[in-house]
Amino acid sequence: MRWTLFCLLLAAPLIQAEVSFNRDIRPIMADTCFRCHGPDKNARMMGLRLDIRDEALKTTKSGVTPIIPGDPDHSAIIERVFATDRKVMPPASAHKELTAAQKATIRQWVAEGAKYEGHWAYQPIQRYEVPAGQNPIDYFIQARLVKEGLKPSPEADRRTLIRRVTLDLTGLPPTPGEVDAFVKDGNYERVVDRLMASPRYAEMQALHWLDAVRYADTCGFHGDNVFPAWPYRDYVLRAFRDNMPFDRFTREQIGGDLIPNATPDQKVASAYNRMNRTSAEGGLQPKEYLAKYAADRARTTSVVWLGSTLGCAECHDHKFDPILSRDFYSMEAFFADIKENGLVSDRGSKAWGSLLALPTDAQRIKQKDLEKRLEVAKKALDDKAATMTAKEQQWEKDVLVAYNAGKLNWKDQRPFAAHSQNGAKLTIYNDELVDFTYYDGGTQLGERKPGGGVVIASGPNPDNETYTVSFKPGEGTWTALGVHIVQEDSLPGERLARGADRVIVTEVDAEMGGRNLKFVLATQSNKTDLSPDVPAMAAIDGDPKTGWGISGPGDNNDIMLALRLAEKLHTERDSVITVRLHQDADIRRATIGRFRIALSDAEYSWPSFEKRPKSESPNTGYLDTKEKKAYFEWMTPELQPLVVEVTKLEADLAILEAAIPKSVITEATEPREMRILARGNFLDESGPIVQPAVPVFLGKLETPGRATRLDLANWLVSDKNPLTARVYVNRVWRQFFGIGIVKTLDDVGSQGEWPKHPELLDWLASEFKRDWDMKHLVRTIVMSATYRQSSAVRPELEERDPDNRLIARQSRYRVDAEEVRDIELAVSGLLVEKFGGPSVKPYQPDGYLATLNFPKREYAASRGDDLYRRGIYTLWQRTFLHPSLLNFDAPSREECTVNRVNSNTPLQALDLLNDHIYVESARYFALNALKNGKIDPIDWAFEHALSREPAKDERTVLLGLYKEALNEFRADPKAASEFIHTGEKPVDPSVKASDLAAMTTVTRAILNLHETITRN
Amino acid sequence: MGLLGLNSLLSPRLFGASGVVNPLHHPAKAKRVIYLYQAGGPSHLETFDYKPKLAAMDGQGMPESFTKGQQIAQLQGKELKCFGPQYGFKVFGKSQQQICELFPHIGSVADEVCIIRSMQGEQINHDPAHTLMNTGSIIAGRPSMGSWILYGLGSEAEDLPGFVVLLSSGRGGQNQPIAARQWSAGLLPSKFQGVKFNSAGDPVLYIHNPPGVSTKLQHDSIEAINSLNKIEDSSVHDPEIATRIAQYEMAFKMQSSVPGLMDMSKEPQSVLDAYGAHPGDGSFASNCLLARRLAEKGVRFIQLYHRDWDHHTGLKTNVALKAEEVDRATAALITDLKHRGMLDDTLVVWGGEFGRTPMSQSGDGRDHHIKGFSFMVAGGGVKGGLSYGATDELGYAAVENPVAVADFHATMLHLLGIDHKRLTVKFQGLDARLTGISGSVIRDILT
Repeated sequence: MRWTLFCLLLAAPLIQAEVSFNRDIRPIMADTCFRCHGPDKNARMMGLRLDIRDEALKTTKSGVTPIIPGDPDHSAIIERVFATDRKVMPPASAHKELTAAQKATIRQWVAEGAKYEGHWAYQPIQRYEVPAGQNPIDYFIQARLVKEGLKPSPEADRRTLIRRVTLDLTGLPPTPGEVDAFVKDGNYERVVDRLMASPRYAEMQALHWLDAVRYADTCGFHGDNVFPAWPYRDYVLRAFRDNMPFDRFTREQIGGDLIPNATPDQKVASAYNRMNRTSAEGGLQPKEYLAKYAADRARTTSVVWLGSTLGCAECHDHKFDPILSRDFYSMEAFFADIKENGLVSDRGSKAWGSLLALPTDAQRIKQKDLEKRLEVAKKALDDKAATMTAKEQQWEKDVLVAYNAGKLNWKDQRPFAAHSQNGAKLTIYNDELVDFTYYDGGTQLGERKPGGGVVIASGPNPDNETYTVSFKPGEGTWTALGVHIVQEDSLPGERLARGADRVIVTEVDAEMGGRNLKFVLATQSNKTDLSPDVPAMAAIDGDPKTGWGISGPGDNNDIMLALRLAEKLHTERDSVITVRLHQDADIRRATIGRFRIALSDAEYSWPSFEKRPKSESPNTGYLDTKEKKAYFEWMTPELQPLVVEVTKLEADLAILEAAIPKSVITEATEPREMRILARGNFLDESGPIVQPAVPVFLGKLETPGRATRLDLANWLVSDKNPLTARVYVNRVWRQFFGIGIVKTLDDVGSQGEWPKHPELLDWLASEFKRDWDMKHLVRTIVMSATYRQSSAVRPELEERDPDNRLIARQSRYRVDAEEVRDIELAVSGLLVEKFGGPSVKPYQPDGYLATLNFPKREYAASRGDDLYRRGIYTLWQRTFLHPSLLNFDAPSREECTVNRVNSNTPLQALDLLNDHIYVESARYFALNALKNGKIDPIDWAFEHALSREPAKDERTVLLGLYKEALNEFRADPKAASEFIHTGEKPVDPSVKASDLAAMTTVTRAILNLHETITRN
Repeated sequence: MGLLGLNSLLSPRLFGASGVVNPLHHPAKAKRVIYLYQAGGPSHLETFDYKPKLAAMDGQGMPESFTKGQQIAQLQGKELKCFGPQYGFKVFGKSQQQICELFPHIGSVADEVCIIRSMQGEQINHDPAHTLMNTGSIIAGRPSMGSWILYGLGSEAEDLPGFVVLLSSGRGGQNQPIAARQWSAGLLPSKFQGVKFNSAGDPVLYIHNPPGVSTKLQHDSIEAINSLNKIEDSSVHDPEIATRIAQYEMAFKMQSSVPGLMDMSKEPQSVLDAYGAHPGDGSFASNCLLARRLAEKGVRFIQLYHRDWDHHTGLKTNVALKAEEVDRATAALITDLKHRGMLDDTLVVWGGEFGRTPMSQSGDGRDHHIKGFSFMVAGGGVKGGLSYGATDELGYAAVENPVAVADFHATMLHLLGIDHKRLTVKFQGLDARLTGISGSVIRDILT
């Protein structure tokens, strides 16, 4: 019946056909009437309600009848709508004037009997018949076009088509070889099958889901620190790659942890519930933040699965949809069992709450083995130590005496020379005054005093450094060497390193008189600090990959590394010791800002006895038991071999464990009480307590006990809920046409748009929910003739359908932010494809994170291959999203986003022109073009970027640019060299610099073309 | 340089172009805003709100009648003691405005400024409070006020963004983080976002040519890119291509205009001295001068963040440090605008995300406080020499003419010729607006 009505409506101008409440009246009333005469009882005026027929037909207390079906002349709403005096509705104060056509429509509707309909989205999904042999998409689209008197567009040419479908399905452009093959054989289906089988397909599809579930790598509030979320992103990637049914995908994310015998994968999936922003700001009120987290989950879940603006009901009953405040809090109540605190710690052993370790099999085996060996070694040490209790007691007395006499103090050395290998400026301050700043219990303190041998790095800030310091200790006999790292407030992270959030010393070596000094044991101050992955022993293990330091963030003050000399070292008056601090970590700029070198002549000083800032009265309480034990073991010769063994094993285990990925997960606990908060006010505890429930107007869950997240998930993908499938297929549709069947992807409620093709939307939804087969849905869309149409604009369409909602052609639009990067890198040959893994840090301008704090941040880009990964793997810093992604409209993912905007700005131009990654892409692209050996390099490059040959006039432009650039670079070889050295990829010396620079100018222009970043 | 020959085709004002509020809802008093955002939460009790009673009760228990059932940040569960104002106040100008003695320069322009002593917030932690102050909402993703204004009014700047953000840090104390969300365009297209100008490194990200590329080669490259884009446009007629072409032209113009604008070395020494600015130091003072230069170029919304007002401890020392950093420059900006005849149509705002408690924290500091705090506004149609609203005798709660964030936003928009109820964007079924569902214009402070 609806189908007939639908066809009928299309056949004639709208106003003459029977008015449909849902299509014609509801949008008007939702915009102009329901605010005061709708579901929100608190906002209702004159007790009058127009969204329910029975109510609208009732005579009010003041004696007027809003609607008399069939009798517009006596219906009050008609009188008021047509009024020209101050009685007019909506009132002038609302700034919502009705058009003459809208007024006429309302009148006609009343005359026709004022028939109401339930809102379309809340009705059961219909499956309309499609004639056999027809692609259903084409059937519905073309039926509409016929009614409109329009013709669909012909199929796009093969080059355009393969480029479009390759970009849409994989986010990357086709190679010229792929284009040629398709141009020859025209086997489109084979292309589609190939693309959908590729892991690239998952990398592209996952983007949209990650926007919706607001996946990011940082916690979003305040310090915005990195939290372990990427295993969840990989779960999403695998789900798309392996075509996980959407119902299972839903269940695992919302309630994976509740599935009996949940697998690690299912637990990781439940990290969906942990993607909300969290805060570790001191002084937050836990209840307030628990309320924020809960509201975030309710909002996100309802937009993602229900396309519903449930969030509006946080403060009041919904004004336009039949959603009650109770529904919002009942939705929150499903998530009330999530174990969490209001203050989600971002550092230390309790950081980020519930975590799951995800070792590989090999890691697991190695971990077990190390644990076992460590246990044995520890036991041996303990056993031996146990035989020495008498000695220990005596030692304790002696050492306290020695300590109080100052005999255990480290002797700060006064260097006479200090230099760096890679350009940092090192300045020695012996008697010169220095401003020292440090934190003590969260308070910043400062002091100006003589440097006392401190060496300060400044100026150039290379990624890695080796500092070499020489000093004359004078006569003495030494047992240990100390490296004392001094904090300074202007430094980022732990205020220790010059660039990274941590400092790492990969190796320390020392020499005297041409003889290397041997170290046997290393330990550090602040033993309790959590830097297990950078253990002290790693500084003397001869392995340049491992290192000692602080892996923060934590509340560290100065730290000290103490290195036990293999044998006592005797120095004369003029002996010179030279110490080298190698800082070759993969993390860039984990280099020391300030340090001192110290020696100990005691029978082993303990590193905690380094000179501390004055406020930290040194060890009045002596050492705690654990530290005392460690100290005893460190200084007792009989225990040395055993201590070395234990320390080495501890270090190995710590390094291994640090390499094991961890993921936030959901852990269920006793559900906390959820109340309706009046106007969202968390302080108001007078509201009624609610139980988990789905919005009342959508039905009721039948569960034996308290409904769980899993019950919610099951309901979302059940036949009882008509929204999930509609909302999902609508979003997928947007990926392939640029706009949804319902344009408002986040709202299918009464304020949202009426679907342009309701029958098609329902057909797709019904097809989707048969098996919840995500790939089948995508395949159905891309195989349709509708999808394959040319995007060329025809004059009659420009006039009739400027927004292309009838889809008589395909659309042209700029690709998404990540794809911009992916295309540039793929075309140039720089792209490194690796599926999944920890998030990476592409280049980013220095200082971009300058206004972050707790800790201060400087950016340390990844190394090597990780600089050239796809955009989806970029570390998603919520408060400062990578500027290149932000410029091209990627959302911060602080909130659920289902409808990215697409803008066109000068900042995008600056980015593509001048961002070093894109210049590096251009020069690598140019190199490949020059070396291809067969085709003219300009043609070669053009075709790689645009999947077509250049036209003659295009070629002329590029050739002209090439010649100009060549002249310029020949005249200025230095400029040529600088240009082609942009970025970290090594430069191929076999190509002449001026040639490469000139060709880079050409490829850079190609990479900047509108067409390069457009799908059409 | 003859710029690519395409200027005639398109409006040069691509960042904001003309706004959606066209014509204006009513005649505007202000054309632009310079917002001196004092981040961290400046104490109203050591700036603009004189409370002798609090001084008298220094060290005594805070009467429970003030604090019961109220939100408190770090003082939760602690004993609450009155903490008297740490500095004296003086009376300034013909208008006899009371201003803390630490701010004599602001005092010297007392007759130009309106002090609002009855601001109220809703969010007691920095991040959400900033978000509320900037976007009118605590849910991330709403446009910031600068974006709303740019969206509403468009830009008058020829070759600069219409919404520019400048940041400076203070000495001592904690510089609280500021997220880019505070100047985000949110649900509006990103061309309305605030563009951060940096005092160190590239003034705007990616503004400099790559190494080895001369201005001429950059120009030739852009010309080639645009020629090719034009060829494409001639066959497909996509308006986005014309926009792209224009954006590349704009990018090229910015490459020379932005560094030129940031280079303040040619400002007369007397001007530099008046502000206390040292070009290139990235200080609040330099940013104030830069703000004036941006205002002259037609930038619609200029927002300066000065961080480091979060004085949980050591308040006495730290407020004095802040006063040193901001007092002279704030006054110099107002004076300079006035001399140039720009104060009448430039609204200057001075305020943070909240104030601070009359109670002490750790004996020498103040905690966050949202029940009453102060703002200072000047120019752009606001009455000078006026004090508006008041807190109670201990400076705890706004008791006279309380001003909510939405009221402040409504007033700002009003001065710019915008009815805050009519500047809306459809989002999730609602007409989203800066003032949410509330906001009243503070008529009493308008000229």
